[in-house]
Formats: sequence, structure tokens, C-alpha cells
Amino acid sequence: MECRKYESHFNAYLDGELSPKERETLQLHLRKCLSCYRKWNSLQKTRDILSRLPELSPPPHLSAVVIARLKEHRLRGLTGPSAYLPRWLPMGAMAALVLLISLGLWQVLLPSFSFRSLLSDQNNTSTLSSHSAQPTTKSTTTREGAQSPVPVMVLRVKDFSRADRELESMLRSISDPMSKPSRQLNSSSARLIDLKVPEQRFSRLLRELHKIGHLDQSQVEIHRMATPQKQKAISIRILVVSNGEDVEIHRIGE
Amino acid sequence: MVQRSRSVKREEEQLLVDRCRQGDRDSFAQLMKLHEKQIYNFTYRMLGSEEEAEDLTQDIFVAAFKGIRRFRGEAKFSTWLYRIALNQTRNRIKYLSRRNFFAKQSRRAQYREESPWENPEFLADSAPTPEQLTLTKRMAAQVQECLDQIPPQARQILLLRDVQGFSYEELSEMLSLNPGTVKSRLHRARSALQKCLGDKLE
Repeated sequence: MECRKYESHFNAYLDGELSPKERETLQLHLRKCLSCYRKWNSLQKTRDILSRLPELSPPPHLSAVVIARLKEHRLRGLTGPSAYLPRWLPMGAMAALVLLISLGLWQVLLPSFSFRSLLSDQNNTSTLSSHSAQPTTKSTTTREGAQSPVPVMVLRVKDFSRADRELESMLRSISDPMSKPSRQLNSSSARLIDLKVPEQRFSRLLRELHKIGHLDQSQVEIHRMATPQKQKAISIRILVVSNGEDVEIHRIGE
Repeated sequence: MVQRSRSVKREEEQLLVDRCRQGDRDSFAQLMKLHEKQIYNFTYRMLGSEEEAEDLTQDIFVAAFKGIRRFRGEAKFSTWLYRIALNQTRNRIKYLSRRNFFAKQSRRAQYREESPWENPEFLADSAPTPEQLTLTKRMAAQVQECLDQIPPQARQILLLRDVQGFSYEELSEMLSLNPGTVKSRLHRARSALQKCLGDKLE
């Protein structure tokens, strides 16, 4: 019991917080009690060993990196109380911003979507032509207020005629048998293909198209994001153009 | 022991702080130089990894610069800086724990003894004192292993008091605890470390 009382003073003794009288009493006990002395000794060694831990030198570039980060924050207008915002917030905000911009662009651009040249669809549903042909005057024949605009994928290919043959056989196997792909050759180096693809074959179509050429499917992705409900068949347009061909599409609608 | 920069007078430090508050990054670089070693050693002992310690130290100083307008000089700058350090460290430990970092770290600990001396300055000392020599490489690794094993709250108070040498008053201010609580937490932390080190001290 007495030993416990002395033990409770060990930390205060270690920190030099005992009165001279308390210290003297404890020292006297430690000289007499081996058990307490061992415990005291162990505690003292624990404290001493911590104070002798080797000291590391920080990397020499540390302050330079911090200053560079502060400059970067300043450029991005992030200085100020944002320091205490969570680390994930900038990324989350960025993701939300990208999503908003994408949706906004889809809303704004789709009724009059334009690339940098023109292909003309003779069925009055869209206009497109190669840049070398008629430029944008024809292309403005859009149908405003189209109810369900069909997204367009632009497929850029190296060898147009070869890619055209490959596409024909691939599309035959992949598209909805009830609706054969309609293919319109709009110039010697551009073709517009309308097709309906069953939802379950859509990924396969994308894989196959990626094999044939460089595919820009951003409009399709935006369309799918905006209409997440599962459809049985997806209507899409594939604009096939030769590499380097400058194309512009004005408004695609049904 | 990590020596805090006592040589720099509080007024000089306050001058640098005042300049920093006006957005002077060069003054902040000077201020950083005064404290980076202590903060880096603290974060290293808290996380047990040099890479993580470097990242965390950077974050602490970035946060300090951004929040420096809130420092009104009522407390010592180091006390204020450590409050930020403690907050950031707590958040980083939570973040790393979720990613199982400490479990992986303890598996790596067995190789720590094989790593080169962590402290080149220590080796470079041509005439090390007997006290320095007593803490062998093996012992330092064992102490770090034990520090890694005790709860972060206990680890931080041990490091602040027994490694960094802060007073109870300063600890009380940093941790927003009354001095009695600081003492009892420190005593429990010492006991936990003592228990872990056990026979190694004999």
C-alpha cells in the first residue's frame, strides 16, 4: 500500500515537481525498497531514452516546396481560410464543376452542335459535308426543337475506303436486325451512318470502332449521362472521316 | 533531444510573423527555417515514415501561412504552430488508418534496423557523447516501434513533453486541456511506453 503511494509520485519526481520534503521522503524510500527502485529506474530510463532519440534533418528542399505551393495556391486564388477545408474538397468541387459544364454544354450545344466542317444529310435531319465542299452556309438547316437529338460519334480513320469496308461488315453483325444501318456517302472521304444498337451490344460496338480508327464518343457519353434509364436500343450516328479531314457538324436532330 | 529554437527572440519572430501576415512569403520561409526541424521530427515520430512526415510537414506550413492572420501573438508562435500541427496530424492519422497504412508500416518495421542511420548529423559528430552512444541504432528502432504501438494521443503528448521539451503550461495551451489532465495523460503515456519497452530497458 505504501509503495503505491510512492509510485504515484514517480512522474512528479521525474518532472521536478515535488517539494524538497516530498523528494527527500521518496529518495529515502527508493533506497530501502528494491521493487520501487526498479520501477522508478525503468520509468526514468523510458524518459531518458526518448530524449536521446536521434534527430532527423528535414529534406533541404522542404521550405522551397512549401513556398512553391503557396505561390501556386495564390495563382489559383486559394489563399485564405480555405486552409482548413477538407483535402478532398478541391477534387470534389472540380468534379462537380466538370459535370455541370458537361451538362450545360450538352444543353446548349446539342441543338446546334458544330464541329469545324460540314456534312449534309439529305433527309433534312442533319447537315454535314466535308470542308473542301460547301462550307457552313448549308449547314444551318437545323430543326429547332427536335425532341430527341441523336448523338454523334466521330470516327477518324487512316484509310477511308478500307475502314468503310470493315465498318460495313462489322455493323451488319452488331446493329439491330430490325433496323439496318443507313449509310450515306457524303463525299469521297466522309460517311454518315445511322444505326440502332441493342444496349447490350453497345460496348462491343465501341470496342470495334476503336479498333478501326480514332473515336470521339464524348457526345454519346454526355447523352448517356443525361438519359441514364436503360434503353432497349440506342440510336446513334457515326460520322466516318479520313484522318486530317476538317469536319463540322451543324445540328443533328430527328 | 530536439532543441527548440530558443535562441530566436520572440520579438524577432513576431516581426517575421507580422510580415507574413502581409503576405510576405520570404519572411515565412525564414520563419519556417526556425521551426521545420522540430515539426518534421514530430511528424516523423508520429507517423514513423519519412515520406509521410515530409508531406505532412508541408501541409502544416501551408496551413500555417494561410491562417497566419488569425495568429494575434497572444500565445507563442510555436504553440500556435503546434496546434495546427496537432490538428493536421490527427487528420492525417485518420486518413492513413483508413488506408491501412499503419498495418503495412509495422510489417516494414522489421527492416528498419537494416536501413542506414537515419541521422547523418549524428554519425558526422566526431566526438559523440557517451549519452548519444547509448542509444544504438537497434534501440532507436525499438523505441519507434513502441511509439507506433501506443495510441496516437499518448504518442503526441510523450513527444511534445519528453522529446520536444514543452512545459505543462504550453502543452495545456496546445491541447486545450487543463494542466491536471495533461499530467495524467502524460503519466499514462509514459507507462504505456515503459510497458512496451519492458526488458529492452534492462
